[in-house]
Amino acid sequence: MADTHVISVSNTIPTPADLTKSVRKKKLKRVSNEQKMEKRMKSIPRYQGSSKKLADDKKAKRLIRKRTREYNSDEEEEGDAKKTKSESNKKHGGFVEEEFQADDDDDDDDDFEEESDEDEDGVERTKEVTKFVEGCRAFKTAFQKIMKKNQPSDALGPVLSAHKKLLIEKLAEEVEELKGKREVKKERHLVGEKGHVLPANFLNSKDKFLSSIATKGVVKLFNAVNKAQHAQKGLNPNKAKDAKTLAKRKKDAFLSELRKPTTNTNDGLFKSSKNDEKNKDEPAWDPLKDSYMLTNPKLKDWDKKDSSLAYESYKTPLESSDEEEEE
Amino acid sequence: MARFKKNSARRSHAIGKPGTALNKKPTVVDDLTGDKIPKSFVFTRGKLPGSVKQLKMDLRKLMLPHTALKLKEKKRNNMKDFLNISGPMGVSHFLILSKGDGTPSLQVARTPQGPTLSFKISEYSLAADVAKSQLHPRCPQDLFKNPPLIVLSGFGTGEQHLKLTTIMFQNIFPSIDINTVKLSSCQRIVLLNYDKETKLIDFRHYSIRLQPVGVSRRVRKFVQNHQVPDLSNLHDVSDFITRAGYGSESEADEEASMVDLTSDLNRINRASNKSAIKLQEIGPRMTLQLTKIEEGLCSGGVIYSEYVSGVKKQEQKPGEESLV
Repeated sequence: MADTHVISVSNTIPTPADLTKSVRKKKLKRVSNEQKMEKRMKSIPRYQGSSKKLADDKKAKRLIRKRTREYNSDEEEEGDAKKTKSESNKKHGGFVEEEFQADDDDDDDDDFEEESDEDEDGVERTKEVTKFVEGCRAFKTAFQKIMKKNQPSDALGPVLSAHKKLLIEKLAEEVEELKGKREVKKERHLVGEKGHVLPANFLNSKDKFLSSIATKGVVKLFNAVNKAQHAQKGLNPNKAKDAKTLAKRKKDAFLSELRKPTTNTNDGLFKSSKNDEKNKDEPAWDPLKDSYMLTNPKLKDWDKKDSSLAYESYKTPLESSDEEEEE
Repeated sequence: MARFKKNSARRSHAIGKPGTALNKKPTVVDDLTGDKIPKSFVFTRGKLPGSVKQLKMDLRKLMLPHTALKLKEKKRNNMKDFLNISGPMGVSHFLILSKGDGTPSLQVARTPQGPTLSFKISEYSLAADVAKSQLHPRCPQDLFKNPPLIVLSGFGTGEQHLKLTTIMFQNIFPSIDINTVKLSSCQRIVLLNYDKETKLIDFRHYSIRLQPVGVSRRVRKFVQNHQVPDLSNLHDVSDFITRAGYGSESEADEEASMVDLTSDLNRINRASNKSAIKLQEIGPRMTLQLTKIEEGLCSGGVIYSEYVSGVKKQEQKPGEESLV
């Protein structure tokens, strides 16, 4: 359809060069015509002109009404209206036809304007009407253009192009901002997580080694506890006699434990501070027996001599080294 | 001021006359051994990431029962506030988590006068991470009702700062008297292992479990769980006992972890049979690096510094000799 229209129009349309010439001529003509009209209006008595104008106005009004009806009607009705228009086309020199042509193809706009100018030239009375049509046509084309755009996939919906661009820019900016923020957050999180390590699901050699150390320690303690508590099993600490023997045993056991040389199978692993201070000839010390540790007066003093501890701790090695020398 | 969650015991401390509160001293001294029970505060300084805050909570749990589990600290709390409250509460140790340049750090201090040990936490795993890594994480109800044992190993290099560290950590937990201690109360163990080469301290926290030895796994489970066993694939009831189960891989290790009990520990671990000690990690896990020892409470003269250790030692040696 559109192609045939274009062809038909192009047949009637003059070449651009001719057009420009004709337009100039017409403009000149129009100006002269208007001047003439004014002169005529001045010369002719008013009422006559008014009656003529009234008749013209009626025609114009009808036309306007028609146009408005067309304008207000939907596209579907336009098909029907076309038939009637085709008749009116003859009257107005293919006026409406061209208009539709313009709707179908934007490239023909310029040609159409030229032609409409031509029409104006011919039918001078409908000058105002054509202007009105021109005005609404622009809106119509724009509106139809928008309506024709059938883009369900578009997230923004049918929006004017300029606005659309702005929106897209804005959205893109937001996305970028969010990205930036997220990255900053991630970085901060990473900095915060520095040193945080998730343990492996399996026991690696180091963990095995550490747990074996701990196990040995616990075994030692439990054995020591059992040994100590086995000795006093039959005795009742509430009886004075038993209490005496208990106290004696405690002391003996404690001293014997002290004098026992180091027979640790895992020497090097279990060395309490005390163990290191003294030589191998000195009594051994079970690192787990915390009570033993605290029976050492030096350690007990820890609570009392807080401030002087630092110095004391530095003194101790020298003492022990002295002992070494003595022995 | 450090704020406590309203609990009746704390409130009585706060409301009652200070004199009465001090006179009572309900748990400052152990009734059995007569030793002073060390108590601790674990708190953080400055703004810290979530994982370090969680580490703080894990450390508090580790320090149970003689610690303030629900101690609330605020931004405006300074060291003085904690110190002020530590006196009447009988708090003897502070464990302070803070964040230096990126890596978190742990300060262990004695109140009220120091010394303070500063550690850099080069690596850490939370208790939750450790539990997640295990197939069957274990947490019996009364696990945190008793203080943990502490094992220090590898600290015997004779260096002064290590000795101080040993003493510090030994005194953080209450001492036990082997004549009176109940083995059933020994449920947890804290291990500190010093690596001479890397100069790092590995900090681990295990739960202690006792298992009867010489009993097949099936029978043990049967006794433990009190559940009707599945006998559907057995021809005879006796098969349940006689049929050999799969040998455990760790049986060889069990030799070293065998223990004789003098008294019944619980229903399963009787005095009559041998028991094996099984440790299961409960976290948190830390790799510490001793960076600094200060004389006072987070202040005062620097006794030891990792970064200028060589210089420091040379300076101090002649001084010490003159003292002796």
